[in-house]
Amino acid sequence: MKKLAGIVVFTVGLILLYGVSSLDDFPSWGTPDSPANKSPLSQYFIKNTIVDTEVPNMVTAVLADYRGYDTMFETVVIFVAGLGIFAVVRVFEHGGASRVVTADTKPDIIITNTCRLLIPLIQLFALYVLAHGHSSPGGGFQGGVIMGASFILVALAWDLDIALKRFSEKQAFICSGIGILIYAGFGLASVFLGEEFLNYGIIHKILPGVDSPEMARYYAMLGVEIGVMFTVTSIMFLIYGLLATRGKMTAGL
Amino acid sequence: MIFAFDFIILLFLIPVAIVALQLKDLLAAAMVFGIYSFLMCLLWAEMGAVDVAFTEAAVGAGVSAVFMIATIFNTKRNSSD
Amino acid sequence: MEIVAATLILLGIVFFFGAVIGLLRFPDFFTRMHAAGKGDTLSTVLIIGGFILYNFSQGGDAANWNVLVKLCFIAIFIMLTSPTSTHALMKAGYESGNDPETLDDEEPEEKEENVS
Repeated sequence: MKKLAGIVVFTVGLILLYGVSSLDDFPSWGTPDSPANKSPLSQYFIKNTIVDTEVPNMVTAVLADYRGYDTMFETVVIFVAGLGIFAVVRVFEHGGASRVVTADTKPDIIITNTCRLLIPLIQLFALYVLAHGHSSPGGGFQGGVIMGASFILVALAWDLDIALKRFSEKQAFICSGIGILIYAGFGLASVFLGEEFLNYGIIHKILPGVDSPEMARYYAMLGVEIGVMFTVTSIMFLIYGLLATRGKMTAGL
Repeated sequence: MIFAFDFIILLFLIPVAIVALQLKDLLAAAMVFGIYSFLMCLLWAEMGAVDVAFTEAAVGAGVSAVFMIATIFNTKRNSSD
Repeated sequence: MEIVAATLILLGIVFFFGAVIGLLRFPDFFTRMHAAGKGDTLSTVLIIGGFILYNFSQGGDAANWNVLVKLCFIAIFIMLTSPTSTHALMKAGYESGNDPETLDDEEPEEKEENVS
């Protein structure tokens, strides 16, 4: 059976290689006349992103503005993933898992001191990635993952209990909900001001100090990314806590 | 795209992928999977998709390896397959 | 300046080579981690130093200073985190019952080395 599977995989791989290499349909790397580049949509994005939104990084503009629905439901997917792991893994005091694995060693002084030095810098870098995502690679998802990793580092270097004192389970769930509410709130604000859902240009009527729809799009994208970051940070930390302690959320790893 | 760099990364990538699937020790497999993610990150950065590479470095090589190790810590370490 | 940069990068690669040989040839876990940790840190910092010098030799406008500061930060963080992670690995290995090799059990280990 295993050999049969190997033969099937090998044959399909050979067919794929043939399709990629020798047929003319597949464009080579970086050609200007590849189908993805020739489509009117990407031509529009390349020409008009800076005019429409004042954002130099096209990826962020497409992700958070032109395809706002997509990113919003991606955030919801991450939230639902956290909820799913919570529903499957979490056990409470009555009943529950048979064996609780605890790390019975004390936190090491070298590791904790280095983490004390590094964790603020990691969080600062996460905020930089979030706020600078308009003009360099980055954005809410990456910044959120880095921020969540800093909390995971607290849990790894000291103990999960100490990390939970900083950022408890209830707070994490509330923050993940707040993130989606921020995102949807920007969409609803543009609905109430008389535009479509997630069409941020109209928000310049209520944002102080912003007088053009383009800058309103710029700042609304920043706000939306902040919402994404809230959700991703707290869900990453929650998933780690649930997986590392068999759903007990105390004294593990 | 620099052909030699691309070629070397792909040359590393294929054995790493096969080893990550074949290992019986799941902890080692998680480590090798982290290496696979890092090589994919290098490949994407080298092809110019820096945003994707950044996401891969943060999610694939960083957090998902930690999740896998945390899960293996609480379950069996050796795969029967 | 470029020659100095190339020399630094080559020196870094030589130290990497030493670290890899140590990782493959040393007998037990602790000596292997010793080779990997020390060689890795030094060679990475040397290579980044070479990059800094090369970047500096290409003329001094604002973008180059930007790259210089970023490379310096990378070098500082590697010097901070690499020994710490080595220490963490060593401690984890010691606590999970991985005894360091001593003079008493050198003889059978020698035989194993010869066989393999």
